[in-house]
Amino acid sequence: MAFFDLKGLLSPVTGLKQFGKKPHTIMFPDVAEHASDRYRGLHFNKLEDCIGCGNCSTICMNEAIDMIQIAGYEGKKGDSGLRPRVDNGRCCWCALCVEVCPTGSLNLTKDYIFVTPDANDFLWTPGIDNKEKGEENISFYSDKETSLSDYSRVPMRELDGDVRIQSFAEAVLGYNEEEARKEASRCISCGLCTESCPDHMHIPEYINAIARENDEDALRIIYDNNPLPEMCGKVCTRRCEDVCAMTHRGDAIAIRWLKRYATETAKNAEIIKEIVNPEIKEANGKKISIIGAGPSGLTAGYYLALRGFDVTIYEAKAKAGGMTFYGIPKYRLPAESLEKQVGYMQSIGVKINFNTRVGKDIDFKEIYNNSDAVFMGVGFEKPWTLGITGEDLNGSLQAVTYLDVINGGGDMEIGDKVAVIGGGNVAIDAARVARRKGADVTIVYRRRVEDMPADWEEIEGAEDEGVHIMPQGIPIEVIGDKNGKVTGLKFARAEMIPDPDGGRPRPKQIEGSEEIMEVTSVIGAIGQEGDYSFIPDDMKNQIKIERGRFVVDENKQTTLPKLFAGGDSANRTADAISAIADGFRAVKAIEKMLMK
Amino acid sequence: MSENKLNKEQLLLDLLKKKFILNESAVRRAKRVEVKVDPKEIIPVLLYAKENSRYISFAHMSCVDWIEDGEFEVVYILWNPEDKINLFVKTRISRDNGVLPNIDFIWRQANTYEREIREMFGIQFEGLVGRQEFILEDWEHMPPMRRDFDTAEFVKKTYFKRPGREDAKDVREFVQERTDEELPDFAKKYSRD
Repeated sequence: MAFFDLKGLLSPVTGLKQFGKKPHTIMFPDVAEHASDRYRGLHFNKLEDCIGCGNCSTICMNEAIDMIQIAGYEGKKGDSGLRPRVDNGRCCWCALCVEVCPTGSLNLTKDYIFVTPDANDFLWTPGIDNKEKGEENISFYSDKETSLSDYSRVPMRELDGDVRIQSFAEAVLGYNEEEARKEASRCISCGLCTESCPDHMHIPEYINAIARENDEDALRIIYDNNPLPEMCGKVCTRRCEDVCAMTHRGDAIAIRWLKRYATETAKNAEIIKEIVNPEIKEANGKKISIIGAGPSGLTAGYYLALRGFDVTIYEAKAKAGGMTFYGIPKYRLPAESLEKQVGYMQSIGVKINFNTRVGKDIDFKEIYNNSDAVFMGVGFEKPWTLGITGEDLNGSLQAVTYLDVINGGGDMEIGDKVAVIGGGNVAIDAARVARRKGADVTIVYRRRVEDMPADWEEIEGAEDEGVHIMPQGIPIEVIGDKNGKVTGLKFARAEMIPDPDGGRPRPKQIEGSEEIMEVTSVIGAIGQEGDYSFIPDDMKNQIKIERGRFVVDENKQTTLPKLFAGGDSANRTADAISAIADGFRAVKAIEKMLMK
Repeated sequence: MSENKLNKEQLLLDLLKKKFILNESAVRRAKRVEVKVDPKEIIPVLLYAKENSRYISFAHMSCVDWIEDGEFEVVYILWNPEDKINLFVKTRISRDNGVLPNIDFIWRQANTYEREIREMFGIQFEGLVGRQEFILEDWEHMPPMRRDFDTAEFVKKTYFKRPGREDAKDVREFVQERTDEELPDFAKKYSRD
């Protein structure tokens, strides 16, 4: 080294050029450290938004997350009530748990300092144990756009409205294989949906079977507790989809359409039998009679027959299916589809006596005395009338009667301008059928469109087909000519009065707003009730009936021990899947009662 | 971004296209150019980028396991501080015994990246000098960043659960109990693990 090293002497002085500049370092601990914007620190969970689906726990490769019960979170439909707890000693902050959180409730924060002398303190529940440093410190959150989960449903193909009204061809076309696999693989298999299904079908399992390309297993799983799955796959009220984990930030999994896909892979009754290949127990000699071949009766019949009971169903009409055959129009549920499913049931030993009305063709008491147990799934056959003047005129009819005639293969003169009164699915069905018969149709409903109890897809479908909807219209009188033929409907406009008790707003007639709509028919669709005249009076006294429905316990048993009831005449939800659930529950109870 | 603003990016791409056989190339967006080359072209391309195009900074090196194609993709990310452009040079090799040339004579720090990729994916770099063990100690399994390495299984076998975690519930079973749903045995293989 040279004795006189100029560079060595000057180097320290060059540091002076930094003088007065802002330093890159911070004065710790006076100034807090600042983590980057997407820093992945300790977890924070918004407990109110969390639904306890457990997706975080499932994806964690380090098994760092447990789902645990927490006081104050009871769980309800769509929420398991469980919440994640993290073992921070195992966590590697990969943030996959955040990435796949369907609600977006789980996040990572900028907070990363956690010091403890006891290693077991690393086990804590985000959202409870780090409340104070949580919400305002969130840095890594799940972004829907870049998420590993797919929040958009595979769209369903259907016929255009103007094509649909030309025939009774099925409007919805169904998923093909590729679409079904794609839609099925969106499911996160949490199973929260099963609680909302009245029948508690094994939804995540059959969807997963479809995703794994095993449609036959899917069908077997579906048939475990639903013998009319293709019907449900087409027309179910699908409360499962309302609580799907994906609805919180995207579209629910198309559970109904996936069920439809799986069931339609079996083209006829023989193929269903071949695939499902159920175990049929040896005949046990017990005789069960079922009144009504609707969804509840058929379900009870099918599972009782599998369990070795001698089952006979008495059906007043020529076809099985009850309201699903005579109420639901064929463009939603084709006759062949029901026949296929009923045909399969008959092939495993369910006997159906058609055109046999109990109370007329055969005595109820006789059935009751000759059977070990009786199940009634008699439904609501009798339509309510509007209770206004002119309802007895020619051209004033009830929707269920009209649908019954059309679905039974007949026809009914309704003219070319029809008013349908009501806002439920039956009203929409009647309107869309009348539209297919060439009429100009207006639905008159007392409340607003958003108050309509009908399925929104049905309302949209009706609008696509050119059905007019007149909300806030109160029918006052059906007007006729001197021959007693309907010529018009007198109605008034209504304003909505908020309900002080928090219920839905009530319509109130606006004075002087009466108008007359020229129509050729008025179709009422404001509800139905049961007709229990088939039960002789001395037995009726022993069967408790409240508000038009049989009173049943959780086993669907009426106040007469041998007598069970299900479906619309025994539950308040009045849909097909509830009827199926009733039938299934009654089967278990009947088996327990007779085979102990 | 309009095309005339991507002049510098396009210029680089045209230059590389003239000099080398590129399997794929694209200006992905502003400040980002991507090229795919064969393994034997890696050293010439990197050297050219550094010496002739002022891509003097070696920013990163990473690896992707394309298990479905039976290939690894190694990505070299270079940075030109003057033009402020990232150049991604990608190359693919077989997952079974694929070998890449060592590039630590171009950038010394590449040595560290290569050792990490060797340990995590099991890719050999010809002539790479450095301890075999990088982060893992006494590792006797498949390289852990390979996608066929079952992390969950390894975790289950290797670590015990901290006491106090016994109250964990399975969501599916928990809801099932609440609803009395009876899941048949043959369906259970489709339940979530």
